[in-house]
Amino acid sequence: MNKPIIQVQHLTKTYRVPEKLPGLGASVRSLFKPQYRDVEAVRDISFEVHSGEMVGLIGPNGAGKTTTLKMLSGLLYPTSGQATVAGFTPWERHTNYLRRISMVMGNRSAMNWDIPPMDSFRVLSQIYRVPEKTYLHILDELIALMDMEALMKKPVRNLSLGERMKCELVAGLLYQPDILFLDEPTLGLDVAMQRRIRQFLKSYNTDHAVTVILTSHYMADVTALCPRVMLIHHGRLVFDGKLQSLAEKLAPFKLIKLQFSTPVIDFENYLQQFPDVESLPRQDEHYSLRVARSEVAKVTAQLLSQLPIADLSVEDPPIEAVIDQIYEVGSV
Amino acid sequence: MLHYVKLIGQFFKISAQAEMAYRANFFIRLLYSVLNVVTGLFSLVVIFNQVESIKGWDLPSALVLLGIYLLLGALRSLFMGPSLESVAGMDGEIWTGTFDFTLLRPVNKQFMISFRYWRIFALIDLIFALGVLVYAIVLLGTPLSILTLIRFLATLTAGILLLYAALLAFSSLVFWNSGFLFTWVINDLFQLARYPVGIYPNWLRLILTWIIPVGLMTTIPAQALAGTLSPGLLILTIFFSVGAFIGASLLFRRGLQKYSSASS
Amino acid sequence: MNHRGGWALIKNTWQSWLQHRGFFFLLAFGWMLPLLVYMLVWSAAAGEGSLEGFSQETLAGYYLILILSNQLTYPITNWTVGDNIRIGQISRWLIQPMSPLYHALSAEIAGKVVFMVFSIPVTGLLALLIHPTVDINITNVILFLPALLFAWVLRFFWGYWLALLAFWATRADSLLALQDTFIFLLGGHLAPIHLLPDWLQPIARLLPFRYMSAFPVEILTGQVTGQETLLGFIALTIWLTLAILLYRFVWQRGIRHYEAVGG
Repeated sequence: MNKPIIQVQHLTKTYRVPEKLPGLGASVRSLFKPQYRDVEAVRDISFEVHSGEMVGLIGPNGAGKTTTLKMLSGLLYPTSGQATVAGFTPWERHTNYLRRISMVMGNRSAMNWDIPPMDSFRVLSQIYRVPEKTYLHILDELIALMDMEALMKKPVRNLSLGERMKCELVAGLLYQPDILFLDEPTLGLDVAMQRRIRQFLKSYNTDHAVTVILTSHYMADVTALCPRVMLIHHGRLVFDGKLQSLAEKLAPFKLIKLQFSTPVIDFENYLQQFPDVESLPRQDEHYSLRVARSEVAKVTAQLLSQLPIADLSVEDPPIEAVIDQIYEVGSV
Repeated sequence: MLHYVKLIGQFFKISAQAEMAYRANFFIRLLYSVLNVVTGLFSLVVIFNQVESIKGWDLPSALVLLGIYLLLGALRSLFMGPSLESVAGMDGEIWTGTFDFTLLRPVNKQFMISFRYWRIFALIDLIFALGVLVYAIVLLGTPLSILTLIRFLATLTAGILLLYAALLAFSSLVFWNSGFLFTWVINDLFQLARYPVGIYPNWLRLILTWIIPVGLMTTIPAQALAGTLSPGLLILTIFFSVGAFIGASLLFRRGLQKYSSASS
Repeated sequence: MNHRGGWALIKNTWQSWLQHRGFFFLLAFGWMLPLLVYMLVWSAAAGEGSLEGFSQETLAGYYLILILSNQLTYPITNWTVGDNIRIGQISRWLIQPMSPLYHALSAEIAGKVVFMVFSIPVTGLLALLIHPTVDINITNVILFLPALLFAWVLRFFWGYWLALLAFWATRADSLLALQDTFIFLLGGHLAPIHLLPDWLQPIARLLPFRYMSAFPVEILTGQVTGQETLLGFIALTIWLTLAILLYRFVWQRGIRHYEAVGG
């Protein structure tokens, strides 16, 4: 088993935030004796990532995802704990470390808005010391992959959000980093563009064996790209494993969808006999039932044997709904 | 290192391309440059129309100082100002939250934020400044020995170093208070360098020599050229400028540390 | 004219500007500094003696009052006119029941109050350090106030019509920089008018720039005789009338052009 490329041990980040209380008295007091509040953004997180893995970092807003990403990229010093990424301590920001990582953010731009993307790319290739021939080869590949030829000469401020995102990705990949940190890469993009970006990331990860850590609001990103997810909640790592397992753990039920060949009267009453079955809103002829996982086989068998079923399928609850529940309710 | 020299070349090229894309800018810049020189010259004409000299400074020596002032101003406009303002100025990277990207580049950060953006039209200012300086030297009439020239170049370099240190120090303050435009403060204070520091009242002269050394930047090189600079003051200025440079660099480094401890 | 709306606008602008007072103090500081430089230069030039009747102390007095009056006459909003035209803000204002002039005026008034919060203490402190002398008599004060008010109005409208050229040309704000330069050279900043070279003095008295800045201060510090004051007010009125006429002319043409081009 090869050594993991990212090793995180007991990483903690606590901010001291000045407390601003309302009222004149409090303002005057804070002038002489400022009060601070400790905000624990990240609490004792440990995990490992192997080279080439694509991992999703999910959790509600303010859970600590971006803070974790910033510590791994070297932007922030932790309060305590250790991390080793590609053999370096990230926050020492060694030149050789910085050349091997890349951070792309969906809501902020690394590009110079006054010049065409081509010029920004060129400067970056110089900063990262990419040999001329290599640079041109990589650039051609990336531009072709994302179908960006037409954008190259337009100034960045004239590009649409999706076009700009493509440029951000090229800027982040033209020096062939080993590790890619993506913070909300599909933020604000339309569905078609999101899909294209996802496709690109998937094939890039496969072809180049880049290690990717991705945070995203959009579960579609995570389901499409990340076989493994880490759920961060109130600064703690509460789950680390397959997305499917998470869904099962959080929502231990399945959905049975059925259609009857002949109308069944009093289906509601019939269902009363099953304590673990909940009837969901009906759509025309399609009925949906929420059933505890352990009961699925039994309930299905019974329905098939007792009722005139034309069509029956057993599905997992949509992951989005499961995760949204955490995001909304704020608890696991 | 050669790599860094090549990078400066790249930065210059890209900035030049961006600037030359807007032709109207050239004429506006030319107008501002002309206004800058004309007001400087006109001011001296008006002042020395009333008096022969002020505290030992006559028109030719004041003109030399103006030339040095314009020269330093041109260098500031050429790259120091634009580069530092891109981080610490209005709509700069600290203000808009994009400094993280700069922090992650595999280059020395101080280098990057000092040389990254160039305003090539400031070369017009540079040409005007040199013109004024040469004319002033001729007007001054003192013989230019090699020694004088060396002293002048050394103190001019010290002046440039002091200017850079002051700009860097004030820019670094943005790490402690991201909303305030500290660079405007030092740009305003630099106005005091238009005139010899000796003509200001004592209390101000001390402040402008030891605390915010705006007074040293132009007065010392002007004195060197006129041959009125004591060797002691020359050495002191050079050491002070190196010290200021080191101090400002340390302040910047401390600022980076603050940014990495506290940003959320 | 909607007076109540105008007052509400002023109050609102004032509150939001108070929040950003650091920024405005910085602006005030920036304007103050060149005047300080020339105060110090002329004081040093005068030394123990006098220049054209000015002593160190009276020069200090002139400049300290000029610092305050310059803050009061500076038309900051002129700089935003070009931007407002470019981003289409003007369209929004045109359909409101108050003319865009109200927005400008409310911003001006709010700004001046904030600037004074900074400038008065600083000037007071400088006065303690520098020991100025000013000859104040009541007639001068009475004449000073309208001269100051008209100075601001003239400076505002003169800059405003220049800034409105942004309807046609994008970098019209360079004309504002030009106006500031002329005020610096010929409006009593670089030197009090009386200290300018002899050949320049009649020109300076003819052009509007003196009336935008130095004239009120000259009245207050007793630099002008009764006759000179009268002539000054006449010149001021002529320039003011011209400024307002130019403003109306350019505004009407500009709006027509703006609407034709589609904003």
